[in-house]
Amino acid sequence: MSTALTLKERFRLRRFLEGEKPIDRPVLLSHRRIFILPSKTGLGFVLLIAVLLLIAFIYNNNLAYMLTFLLASIFILTILHNFRSLVGLVVSAGKSPAVFAGADAAFTVYIDNPGEYHRYNLHLRIAGRDARKTDIGPRQKVRITLHSGTRQRGWHRLPPVTFYSYFPLGLFRAWAPVNFNAKILVYPQPAETGSIWPGSGESGSDNGSRSQGNDDFHGLQEYQSGDPIRRIHWQAFAKGQGLYSKQYSDGGASQEIWLDYAATRSDHNEQRLSQLCRWVIDADQAGMVFGFRLPGFTLQPGSGPAHCRKCLEAMALF
Amino acid sequence: MQISEINNHVLLFLLASIGLIALPHITHIPAPLFAFFTLLLGWRLLAVWKKTWLPGRVGLFLITLTGILLIVSQHQGILGRDAGTSLFITALGLKLLETKKQRDIYLAIYLAFIVAATQFLYFQNIFMAAYIIAVSCVLLGTLICINSRTPKTFASLKAAAVIVLQAMPMMMVIFILFPRVESPRWMMFDEQHAASSGLSDSMEPGSISRLGMSPELVFRVKFSGAVPPPNQRYWRGPVLTFTDGKRWTQSGNLFYGKFLDRPKFFGAPYRYTLMMEPQANDWVFALDMPADFSMPLRRNANYQLLTRDRFDQRAEYKITSYPSYNTGYITKTEYRENLQLPGRPSEKIRELVARLHGYDQAPEKYIQNLLRHFHQDGFFYTLFPPLMGDKPIEDFLFKYRAGFCGHYAAAFVYLMRSAGIPARVVNGYQGGVYNALGNFLEIRQANAHAWAEVWLQKRGWVRVDPTAAIAPERVEQDVDIARQLATGEVSFTSTGANYGVLAGWLKQGKFLWNSVDYSWQHWVLNYNSTRQSQFLSALGIDNVSDMVYWLVAFTGLLTALLAWVILRARTQPVDQAQRVYKRFCRKLAKAALPRNAGEGPVDFARRTSTAKPALADRISAITTLYIKIRYGRSANDADLRELRKQVKALRV
Repeated sequence: MSTALTLKERFRLRRFLEGEKPIDRPVLLSHRRIFILPSKTGLGFVLLIAVLLLIAFIYNNNLAYMLTFLLASIFILTILHNFRSLVGLVVSAGKSPAVFAGADAAFTVYIDNPGEYHRYNLHLRIAGRDARKTDIGPRQKVRITLHSGTRQRGWHRLPPVTFYSYFPLGLFRAWAPVNFNAKILVYPQPAETGSIWPGSGESGSDNGSRSQGNDDFHGLQEYQSGDPIRRIHWQAFAKGQGLYSKQYSDGGASQEIWLDYAATRSDHNEQRLSQLCRWVIDADQAGMVFGFRLPGFTLQPGSGPAHCRKCLEAMALF
Repeated sequence: MQISEINNHVLLFLLASIGLIALPHITHIPAPLFAFFTLLLGWRLLAVWKKTWLPGRVGLFLITLTGILLIVSQHQGILGRDAGTSLFITALGLKLLETKKQRDIYLAIYLAFIVAATQFLYFQNIFMAAYIIAVSCVLLGTLICINSRTPKTFASLKAAAVIVLQAMPMMMVIFILFPRVESPRWMMFDEQHAASSGLSDSMEPGSISRLGMSPELVFRVKFSGAVPPPNQRYWRGPVLTFTDGKRWTQSGNLFYGKFLDRPKFFGAPYRYTLMMEPQANDWVFALDMPADFSMPLRRNANYQLLTRDRFDQRAEYKITSYPSYNTGYITKTEYRENLQLPGRPSEKIRELVARLHGYDQAPEKYIQNLLRHFHQDGFFYTLFPPLMGDKPIEDFLFKYRAGFCGHYAAAFVYLMRSAGIPARVVNGYQGGVYNALGNFLEIRQANAHAWAEVWLQKRGWVRVDPTAAIAPERVEQDVDIARQLATGEVSFTSTGANYGVLAGWLKQGKFLWNSVDYSWQHWVLNYNSTRQSQFLSALGIDNVSDMVYWLVAFTGLLTALLAWVILRARTQPVDQAQRVYKRFCRKLAKAALPRNAGEGPVDFARRTSTAKPALADRISAITTLYIKIRYGRSANDADLRELRKQVKALRV
C-alpha cells in the first residue's frame, strides 16, 4: 500500500508532523507511519518512578524497588499497547461534496479495522480543529467527517490528518500523520443577497445579455405547489389577495438571459466572481434558463442542477 | 493531554482505588491524620453527586492549613518514614478535593502510587505485596477509564490486570539485575524502632518467662548439611557474669579477649546460614560454639557473635559451629569475675553446698549432685513462678522450688560460685521447629532460654543446663507455643506424638506456609547488594557495568518478546477463507475453467457448474461457505474448517 522510502525521505522532519507524500490509495498505518513519544503525563510518570526509586533506595526496601520496577516495566510495555492502538488500521478518504468559499469543507475519512482487537478512543485531527474521537470494534469500519475551513475558491486539499491515541494509560501518544490525496472544489463565495442583477445598472445590456428584472414579468398566476418561493408575489399576498406566482416569459430564445462575467461591476476579480456566483445561484433557484459566460468559457443556455454546477465549477477554477 | 471534565464513573473508580491503597495505613499513621484523610475522601465522595459541595479557594486553603497543622502536631517535621507517610496521605486527600480536570486525576494516582510504596516500609509480607499489586491494577484501571470514551469497569480492570501480568517478567529481570547500592548512612532517617521484645542484656527473674508467650520469629537457620539434634540446639546470646543477687548483667570488662586461650573444636561441623529478623541489639545467635564466620561478624570474649552491620534489618550470615570444643585456660580477669558474689553466701546456702559436697568433692561430682537435687527434691518448672522476695535465689531454692529456666540457671551459677567454681549465666535460645519442606529451623521468642556455663579444669567452659534436669522435655522437644499461649502453662510437643488427621494437615500447611515465607524472605526481601553480587557473579556478571549491559539486553529481549505476543497479527478467518477459495479457483483453472476478472463467486459457481455438472454440488457448497465466511455475520471457525475440507476433497 505504500512505496519504499529513500533514506533521505525517511529522515525528513516533515514526515513526523505532516506525513508522507499524498497518495490516493487507502493507507495502512504501519510502523513506518506511526510515531510514539511520551505525553506530558508520561513524563510525570517517569518522575513518579524516580521518586519511588529514591524511596526504595533510602529505605533499602526491596518491595518498594519491586513496585518501582513494576511501574517501569508497565511504562515500557505501554509503548507496545499504545502502538497497537493504531497499527494495522487502514484509512482512506472518501468523496466529498463541493462547498462555497468560507464554509467548512466536510471531508469523509474511512477507518477500517481489519484486526481482531478493539481500538478505543482513536483521535483524528486536522491542524487548528478540535479532535474527533471514535471507538472501532474488531473488523469494523467507521466513517468520520472532518471539517476544514475554506477561504479561497478552487481546489481545497484535505490538510494532513493526524490519527493519534493515548490509549491505554495516557502515558504515550502514538500518532500517524497521513496526507490524503483528497481535494474538494470550492466555489466562489456568493455575494450578499439582493445584489443588483445584470443590466439593471446604466452600463446597459449592450453585450447581448438581456436584462431580467423583477418588474419584467409576464403575468400572475395562482400559486401552485412546486412554484419557486422567489416567484411568489408577496405584495399581493400582503394585501390579502391570496398567493400568486409571478410568471415570467420564458421558453423562447428571446426570453433567455446571459450571466456574463463582463456584466459584473467591480475592480476586484474575486468580487466580480462572487457577484456572478450569486446570479447563478439566484437564477438556478428561480428556475430560469440562462447562458453563462466567462472570459474564455461559454456555456449555452440551460437550466437544472447539472447546468448550475458546471457554471460554479467554471468559476471555481477560473 | 486534553483537559476535559471527568465523568462520575471515573471518579468513583478513583476514589475506591485510593481508599483501598490507604486502608492498610490505618495502623501506621496517627489516628487524627487518618480520620482527616477519611473525612476528605468521604467529602469528595459526596461531592461526586453534589458538585456544589466542593470547597472554594478559601475553604481549600483552610483545609490545607489544617492538614499541615495536623502533621506538625503529630510528627516533628516532615522527614522520616512516619512523617513522610502522613505527608503523602494528607497530600493525597487534599488533591482529591480539588480534582476537577484529567490532569488532577493523574496527579492523584501518582500520589497514590507513592502511598502504596510507603506501605512496604511497614509491612513486607507476601500478602501486602499481593494486595498492593491488586490495588495497582485498580489504579491503572482508573487510567484506562480516563482514556476511554465510554468507561467500563470490568473491561478496564481486566485490561489493567493483563498489562500488570505482562509487566511481571520484566519487573523480575530488573529486580535481579538493577544494581543495588546500599544507601549511605547519612541518608537514614532516625527511626524509633518499636522495642521489639527480645532478650535483654540483663536477666531478672521472670524476664524470660515473658518471652515464653511470644510466637514472634527471631531467626531462621538453614543447614547445608546435617541438622543438630534438639538437645544440641543452643543458640548463644549474651553472657551474664555480674550479679547483685537479683539481677544478672554482662561484664563491663571485655578487654581480656586477647588473653584468651585459642578454643579447639572437635567433631563434625555444622554449616548453616542464619537469617536474623530485625533485632534490637547487635547479637547474632550462633549455634554453640561458633568457629568460622565472616565479616561483618566478630566474636567477643564470651564467644558470642556480634554484627557490625545494621541489625534493625533482616540479615543473613554464614557460620560454622562445632558441638564439641575446649576453650582452654581461664584468664585471671575471667576467674575473678566469674566467682563474683554479692557478699558472702548465707548460712542456708553454705549448708546446701556442703550437703551436695560442693566443698569436698570434684566439681563434676558436685554438679551432678546439684542437678539430682533439682530433679528429685520437689522442684518444678513453670512459666509463671510465684513472685520472689528480696533474696530471690534463697526464696527459689528453699521456699517455692518453682521457676523457669532463668531461676534454675541463676541458682545454679550462684551455688557453683559459692563452692568456688567459676560459672556464668548464658542467655540465648534453645531448640527450634524444623521445617522439613524448607529444610530450615525456625526459632521464635518462645524459645528464649537461659543456661549455665562452668569452667572446669582441662575442659574449659562447659555448658550445663539445669533446666534439663528438671524438665528434660524442654530441651529434648520443642515448646508448643500455641498450647502455651492458650493455657499459660509450659507445654512441649513431642515429635512422635499422634496428631489427629486434621491437626496433621494443619501442621503441614503451617510448615508449607513457613517454607514459602522463608523463601520470600530469603530471595525477595533479603536480596541486597551482597546477595546480588554473590548471585550474579555465579552467573559471570561481576561488576556494575556488566549488570547494566545485561539489564538493557534482557529488557530489550523481553520487550521484543512481548511485542511479538502483543502485536502478532492474529490470522483472520476472512483472509484464510480467501486463501482457501483461491486454492479452489486454481483447481478449477487447471480444468480450463479460470475465474474471469470481476466475476463474482456466485456467477463463477454458476458457470463452472454448467460446465462440470458432476461437481455442481461441491462447487455450490464451497461457494455458499465462502460467502458465509466472507460476508455473513455468524461465520465461525467450524465453517472455515469445513471450507478447507471441501476444497481439499474437490477432484476436478
